[in-house]
Amino acid sequence: MTGTALPAARRPGPAAWGQMLLAEARMVVRDTSGLIVPIGFPVLLLVMNGVSQDGDQVLPGGATVMNGIIMPLTVTMVAALVGVVNMPSFLCTYRKYGILRRLSVTPARPAMILAAQMAVSLAQVLLGVGLMAAIGALAFDVVAPPALGWALLAGVLLIAAMYGIGTLIAAVAPSVSAGLAIGLAAFFAMLALGGGLGPIANLPEALRAIGERLPYGAGNAALAAAWSGERPETLHLAVLALWGAVTGGLAARFFRWT
Amino acid sequence: MAAIEVEGLRKSYGGRAVVDGVDLAVEHGEIFGVLGRNGAGKTTTVECAVGLRRPDGGRVRVFGADPHRERDRVRQAVGVQLQQTHLHMSLTVIELVRMYRSFYADGLDPEGLVERLGLGEVRDTRYEKLSGGEGQRLSIALALVGRPRLAVLDELTTGLDSSARRGMWGLIEGMRDEGITVLLVTHFMEEAERLCDRIAVFDAGRVVALDTPAGLIGRAGGGAEVSFRAHAPLDRSLLTALPGVEEVSVRGGEVVVSGGGDLVKEVAAALMRHGVPATDFRTRTATLDDAFLALTGHQPEERDEQGSDEKGR
Repeated sequence: MTGTALPAARRPGPAAWGQMLLAEARMVVRDTSGLIVPIGFPVLLLVMNGVSQDGDQVLPGGATVMNGIIMPLTVTMVAALVGVVNMPSFLCTYRKYGILRRLSVTPARPAMILAAQMAVSLAQVLLGVGLMAAIGALAFDVVAPPALGWALLAGVLLIAAMYGIGTLIAAVAPSVSAGLAIGLAAFFAMLALGGGLGPIANLPEALRAIGERLPYGAGNAALAAAWSGERPETLHLAVLALWGAVTGGLAARFFRWT
Repeated sequence: MAAIEVEGLRKSYGGRAVVDGVDLAVEHGEIFGVLGRNGAGKTTTVECAVGLRRPDGGRVRVFGADPHRERDRVRQAVGVQLQQTHLHMSLTVIELVRMYRSFYADGLDPEGLVERLGLGEVRDTRYEKLSGGEGQRLSIALALVGRPRLAVLDELTTGLDSSARRGMWGLIEGMRDEGITVLLVTHFMEEAERLCDRIAVFDAGRVVALDTPAGLIGRAGGGAEVSFRAHAPLDRSLLTALPGVEEVSVRGGEVVVSGGGDLVKEVAAALMRHGVPATDFRTRTATLDDAFLALTGHQPEERDEQGSDEKGR
């Protein structure tokens, strides 16, 4: 070995990104229980609701109960489960076991693993929603939202908001179990106030106002509007965007790699 | 230009100086040992050297580059094995080696490396199912897969049984033979004495001595000791006059001669010359343990303790 200077810096290329993506995908697929929750649970809920309720009943907005209520609710649920429950649990585990620390002494950056993790969980969301849409279309007359563009925008903002909350939980949770507990508590609180446990109209006015300012309620309402062929309320889209921006910013500020 | 240069390094956690003015230089191609008890500042020093922690003061250069400002250049040339880190639990050995290979511009063939480190049989075993020794060999594989110029190994053999530990020693010597500079952090005296070309002895955040193993042993005044049972009257002055002899003591029928130099040969020749029959001839040469005790005032730790107090977050 000679004492010559180091060669110029070279950042990891596409092969490294591909390997990271593959690693995250394998981790998620091999953690079977983690996969059942975002993909199996909403399908189960959809089928249960579809069989037991009168999903064909037409709402005042023109959509059926299945399209106007059940689909928005379950799509929101998939995004919330993946973003707020699954992602923090993975990130807290990576941190606890020093996996991110080990990566940080290679030319790869821990941010690459975050990006890969997000890409893989996005695939879970799309898979969960796609499966629901397919089963719904075959068995329960589910149709694509008439206001498809608004539905896609609401979906993107919804996912951003849920990922933001999930990453913030991962940033502040002191342990893996704390991350999971906070994630589940946040999930059920948003679910209860966002219409997941019964019609929002049955909630007291104050709770309803809080619920629609949380990502679950806002996402649910925005998707329901899109399925009725309407433009979602600005309030709901703004709520989603704000939650995504604020929690994402805080997470970036407080996230610890080790 | 040395492989690693550390000058006046300081790092404190919560007002307590964990590293308090460390200077050292690791030369190309050597196995450089960082030896000390848990909490002596070894890991913190090494973590500053690989850019994992920012020093509070002082200067660190790796192949002349700042490990923070020129992170990408340094990372390509340094393979690291860290304490208390794990890998993706449900990935297999070969999947992990392939992934780490993809991070580096240059590197070794993952299949060949896995075979060479004796991991062929567990090639498709998940990380979470590996034994301690297999996990450590995998972490060596990941430290080597980018064909580094410098390998930094932190307590590589802690937690391993003695046969697995000896296996690791062979691997580390193999690295030096390939021209890789090795920085080895350890609290095992035997490991440091056997492997290292030079050793920095750490105590309370400082380097208290830096020398070859033989140099440290000699410097600490740790000479050899010869004892025997004399079966004829023996004049002490015969022995005290010998070159290198520092002390002669008689305990009952046993004579103990301590000192430096070629003590055994001198004593044996003197006994022959004067016709003194002797039995129970025993020799004890000073080891790094003696040197460590003399330099730091502490007994070396030989227990496998992971819980050092250096893990400030």
